[in-house]
Amino acid sequence: MSESPATIIQADEALRRAQSDALNAYRDLSPYWIRVVLEPDGWHVDYQPKSPGMKGGGAHYVIDAETGGILFKRYEQ
Amino acid sequence: MEAPTVQQLLGLAVVREALEAAWDDSLADDWLLRHEEGGWIYLNITTAAISIRRAPPGGRASVNLSSPPVVAGAVVVATFHTHPNPAAEGWNTGPGNDDSASAWFLGVPCIIRAEDGVHSTGPDARRGGLSGGHGFPPLLWLPNGADR
Repeated sequence: MSESPATIIQADEALRRAQSDALNAYRDLSPYWIRVVLEPDGWHVDYQPKSPGMKGGGAHYVIDAETGGILFKRYEQ
Repeated sequence: MEAPTVQQLLGLAVVREALEAAWDDSLADDWLLRHEEGGWIYLNITTAAISIRRAPPGGRASVNLSSPPVVAGAVVVATFHTHPNPAAEGWNTGPGNDDSASAWFLGVPCIIRAEDGVHSTGPDARRGGLSGGHGFPPLLWLPNGADR
């Protein structure tokens, strides 16, 4: 008997979950570019400064690929 | 004359006062208005005098220190900025990977004032000493063609 494949949320949904939280914390996300990568432990959503001369860090998330919940987050500044 | 180290800079009143002024201006206790502040630390290569220039105010978690103003006869020996967001809200108060990467890219120490004190990251002193002209030290050319 084969198992049903787990439902995987799409990248845009993972980003939406992260974006909602990050906007609340950072208020303005325009200084950052965003990387969204599906890894074995979920969607990794990373905000990183666009310019190396920009001092500051972005938010980092691991989003559950099945439920869309935030498994991990870290706010850099 | 050699480029001062982070510890030497932190031993100077002018640097400590600049850090505290930036911290005060960051309005760390105001959730709505708190923001990063920062600037550049210069060394006059003739007189060895240290001077400070502030950057325009930054945002909630970033400040642009990429374009230091020219100070006659002086070079940038460090940057400084604040981390006004508190650990109680989940923020890392110390330097993150991006602060470290930026400091190594720019070639000068990065000094940070946060609620839990002063942190630093990047090189211990200006890369290559005091040569290289105004502003940040020259690009570090790598064999694969990538700069800095």
